[in-house]
Amino acid sequence: MLDWSTATPAIAAAFLASLVEVVEAFTIVLVVATLRGWKPAVLGTGAALATLGAVVLVLGPLLDRVPLHALQLMIGVLLLLFGIGWLRKAALRAGGVIPLHDENAIFAQETAELSEAVKRQQTSQDWIAGIAAYKAVLLEGLEVIFIVIAVSAGRGLLWPASLGALAACALVLVVGAIAHRPLARVPENTLKFGVGVMLSAFGVFWTGEGLGVEWPGQDLALFVFAAVFLLAGLMSARVVRQPAPEVVQ
Amino acid sequence: MSILKDVLSELFGMFVGDARLTAAILAMVAVAAVLIDGTALPPLAGGGALLAGCIAVLVISVHREARRRRAAIARPSEDS
Repeated sequence: MLDWSTATPAIAAAFLASLVEVVEAFTIVLVVATLRGWKPAVLGTGAALATLGAVVLVLGPLLDRVPLHALQLMIGVLLLLFGIGWLRKAALRAGGVIPLHDENAIFAQETAELSEAVKRQQTSQDWIAGIAAYKAVLLEGLEVIFIVIAVSAGRGLLWPASLGALAACALVLVVGAIAHRPLARVPENTLKFGVGVMLSAFGVFWTGEGLGVEWPGQDLALFVFAAVFLLAGLMSARVVRQPAPEVVQ
Repeated sequence: MSILKDVLSELFGMFVGDARLTAAILAMVAVAAVLIDGTALPPLAGGGALLAGCIAVLVISVHREARRRRAAIARPSEDS
């Protein structure tokens, strides 16, 4: 029986994080499909998904052998490093300090770079395109795997979190297939902000439990931590946002 | 080899994107561990210190990075 107070944030974090990563990977796969056709794009993506599956199959049983408190501490610290890093970047983007992620600009840049690479290598153009898709899906997928494993570790939530990630993949594929262009209207920074908040909250929760803290309210403490991180992130973004320059008459 | 290099670089970047941020978070975890295991305080005090410390690290890190980037943008115009 699922404990929804733990499962809901885990599934939501896996879904939202996967949405962000899959949108980024989809942009590159679309570049490959546009330049060289769907065959190298699908083959590269399939090979990357198989590699990621192998990573999960190897890592899963290994993690089962680690004692629970050590696992919580290890995953908790990694979540803090990863989550606070994401939250910091999202706050800086929301505050206008660094530019927002632009899928259309990335699509144009990747198209130019892949065209150049294909021109240089006349003999195996599909191979180069397939490798580009493989790398994009593999690199973005590694982050998804880490998040899914991290938010579900030690709680028997691997399947629900994986389903959350798979639902995000399916959603991006369906919307991407219909739109057939980069998914530039996805509010990526808002999603990253939300995921950073959740991962940081999970990080404090797991690290504390790994060190022997019994949080009041148990899993419900996650929501309190998330609220505190959200508030801190929003306040930071607001403080670093510079006022618009005054119009000179 | 290039793919393996990219994977390792991605994994490194995931957790150590900014060395100062990483060091500050690890220091907060160490402080919490000392409070929990090395003092007579209740473990929850260490947990509270961990939460407060991580929030402080986030806020300070955002402000520091914003100041650094704006100073880098302002510098060339000051020189001219």
